[in-house]
Amino acid sequence: MARRAPEAGGLLLRLHTGATLLFLYAPIVVLVVFSFTSDSFGVRWTGFTLRWYQRLFSDERLIGATLNTLLVATVATLIATVIGTMLAFAMERYRFRGRTGLEALLYVPIVIPEIVMALALLGFFALAFGLIDAWFGVRPVMGLATVIIAHVAFTVSFVVVVVRTSLKNFDVRLEEAAADLGADAWQTFRRITLPLIMPGIIGGALLGFTLSLDDFIITFFTTGPGTSLLPVEVYGQVKRAITPKINALSTLMLVASITLVFLSQFIQWRGRRSS
Amino acid sequence: MEQLSRYILIVASLMLLAACGGSTPTTPTTAPSSDAPAADGVDRERLAQELRVYNWTDYIDPALLDAFEQAYGVRVIVDNYDANEDMIAKVRAGGSGYDIVVPSDYAVETMWRDGLLQEINRAWLPNLGNLDPTLLDKYFDPGNRYSVPYMYGITGIAYQRSAFPDGITSWAVLFDPAQLERVRGQVSMLDDERETPGSALRFLGHSLNATDAAAIAEATALLQAQREYLAAYNSSDVNRKLASGEYLLAHAWSGQALQARNGLGDEFEGNPDIAFVIPNEGGAIWMDNMAILKDSPNAYTAHVFIDFLMRPELAAQNAGYIGYLTPNAAAIELLPETIRALYAEGFAPDEQVKQRLEWMVRDEQSTVFTELWTAVKGQ
Amino acid sequence: MAIGGITAAGVRSGARRRLAALLAPGLFWLIAFFAIPLVVVLAYSFAVPGPTGRIEWRFTLENYQRLFGETLYVSAYVRSLWVGLLTTVICLVMGYPLALFTVRQPPAWRAVLLFLILIPFWTNFLVRTYAWMVILSNNGIINATIQALGFPRQILYPGEGAVLIGLVYGQLPFMVLPLVAALDRFDFTLMEAAADLGASRRRAFWRIMLPLTAPGIAAGSVLVFIPTVGQFVVSDLLGGAKVDFLGNLLQRLFTRSNPPNWPLGSAMAVMFMLVLTVAIIAYFRATAEERR
Repeated sequence: MARRAPEAGGLLLRLHTGATLLFLYAPIVVLVVFSFTSDSFGVRWTGFTLRWYQRLFSDERLIGATLNTLLVATVATLIATVIGTMLAFAMERYRFRGRTGLEALLYVPIVIPEIVMALALLGFFALAFGLIDAWFGVRPVMGLATVIIAHVAFTVSFVVVVVRTSLKNFDVRLEEAAADLGADAWQTFRRITLPLIMPGIIGGALLGFTLSLDDFIITFFTTGPGTSLLPVEVYGQVKRAITPKINALSTLMLVASITLVFLSQFIQWRGRRSS
Repeated sequence: MEQLSRYILIVASLMLLAACGGSTPTTPTTAPSSDAPAADGVDRERLAQELRVYNWTDYIDPALLDAFEQAYGVRVIVDNYDANEDMIAKVRAGGSGYDIVVPSDYAVETMWRDGLLQEINRAWLPNLGNLDPTLLDKYFDPGNRYSVPYMYGITGIAYQRSAFPDGITSWAVLFDPAQLERVRGQVSMLDDERETPGSALRFLGHSLNATDAAAIAEATALLQAQREYLAAYNSSDVNRKLASGEYLLAHAWSGQALQARNGLGDEFEGNPDIAFVIPNEGGAIWMDNMAILKDSPNAYTAHVFIDFLMRPELAAQNAGYIGYLTPNAAAIELLPETIRALYAEGFAPDEQVKQRLEWMVRDEQSTVFTELWTAVKGQ
Repeated sequence: MAIGGITAAGVRSGARRRLAALLAPGLFWLIAFFAIPLVVVLAYSFAVPGPTGRIEWRFTLENYQRLFGETLYVSAYVRSLWVGLLTTVICLVMGYPLALFTVRQPPAWRAVLLFLILIPFWTNFLVRTYAWMVILSNNGIINATIQALGFPRQILYPGEGAVLIGLVYGQLPFMVLPLVAALDRFDFTLMEAAADLGASRRRAFWRIMLPLTAPGIAAGSVLVFIPTVGQFVVSDLLGGAKVDFLGNLLQRLFTRSNPPNWPLGSAMAVMFMLVLTVAIIAYFRATAEERR
């Protein structure tokens, strides 16, 4: 940590950061404000109401879809982060036959157009389920599990890209020093490597989570009867009209995530102080 | 911390395994048997517990699903799609798990030709007689062997009466640059490779199914010239943008126009200024239909549900909710007075307008419309 | 780069076993869910579309001939690549200082800032895009301000400017996260050393910081560029669906036309992936070389 420059950033940097945050939050402020408007088009301020929040709480389908989406994003991100970090290590630390081929394969999930991937996965699951049916006599149906598998599939590569960035700038001498001091490979990884590349891993995981939350096309084609997810519901609403009900939902999710972030920071801060 | 993350991983992988292994309860299970053959002729012993319907977004009154469950103890699960091709892709892959789908006219033909639908058993549909015979036996399903009409609509022009006090009688209002100039940036066309070229073809005096090179070239040029005046190609929230006043004029489906005029449930309020017209040069008619998938194990229950929706009072309730036109002749007179007044005003075709309407046929030649549309948007 | 053979680093059997363990799950996933589908897409691209949109298995090169022969397809490619490039550059210029500021905060604040950047992206993408429509519309906040200041109303949406704003907005975090990861590993004392040796701050930035954080720039650029080239929702919603991008064409050929044309769509997708994969690998190699 001593490597960080003492100053927190010049005035220009502060101004830029402020302006960028303003840009990032402008639409957020708009959607929060309009979750309280009495205008049913959700585009004008015509007075204060909590009507949309009431409507939201009575919409079981939307709430179910939200919970499904959070579940999928969390599980898919956990799996993708573990697999992706392992792959990143293999790619950065080893030379092996077929490495270039793997490199190309790794970028496929990033460069493949979503619609192509969605239809390919749809065909794949249909085929696999047909085989399972033929062999075991039970036919699985698409649902949360297939959505999770698909989301892991397309988030892994994003995790790999970000984690590799951390590994590329990694000073290998630190690991060698640990080994010289008698640490075995696992200890070196746990105590030295992992903490140092943690920002990369967390960045990759956050990226994966964000992608998973928002994915519409792949989700649409890999979900099944009765399993509804938020992006699919919202996309359907666009066809008709996005009501302030969706704004209300977004506002609640926003409040929840901000609370969660600050709470975790607070707990860490307390932990550091007491130790 | 380490233990926790390991625990989470284990739980997650277990969940995944459980979810993968979980197979569907598609085997027709019997509902709690009541005192046998009921008055409505439905054999409750043969009903499944659950019925899965794949439908367009917001295309059925949810109250009817509850009513069906009340009456027969069958839970109806509805999922949504927004394009026939999305639905067909999913069904064609196999094992979609759905029982009923709602393809539009041409899509019915695609699906039965590809062997995706099972034949309708008329003996299980006593309410079929309620339907308007002029809407049966159409080109896409001769003799209605595979499909039952669900909702239909027409395509024309929706507009704000205050902006067009003399009314509208011709597509020229959307294609003549001199007239377009006044509404620049406040007008939209449907984002559809058949509807929009179709309107141009009708304006030019052709059939909207014309595929000869000269007609297509003419329509392409017309649409290319029109584009700069448009706010957007929009087939999704036209209803809302008309109601809010953002569009003065729009190429629209009748149901969207009716929703703009009447409001949409409790989602937005209607705008009494909205009118709808099929121009003198003519417009399009289309229909969405209920059909049962070939791999559905719940065919009987599916028939019971389709028949249920054809009861006149329920069909009227459904049409009132959705805003499109019901093919159920017996339901028309049960519609609320306000809606029937709107029908009379032009939101539904009268006998005279019906003469100007044309079905959009899809065949081997239809690929020219994909190319036309790409040419219009690719300048 | 070692293409064939196991080089010195990996001779010991322990290392090999570790490598196998590291590769196994990811490789399984990639092969099952990408390599196999990829082969299918490749096969489709040489097939013929049937009258109902079903694939007919007759070999043809016609799909590729059309792709290169028709200027409409070529111009959609060029347009998409140009917009992708523009978005990437803007994201980089906006994202780099933001990432720099972030890593120079004390750890607790850094995490908070990182989350602050990401939280807007946990609300649904379409909802955020709708919010931009409200801001940019004729009666929106910006126009209200402009008019209050006495200027005439501007048509900001739908239009190309609105599309660009929407794209940059949607992609910014994908630039910032890899940059933060790269800058986090950057040794800032190098900058002081450079200053001690008489280099100007600007020179130190261009000669030391930028090259050393190149992997982050490369990763971020790729993560922004690719999705932008393939997008269609933003240009439909904020641009009024008036111009085709590559994403629109693919979407149309696969699931909007009747009948759909999967073979032509597949050919388009194959070319798209081929060009981009080659470009990315070349790009990463170049940015990696630069550091040596």
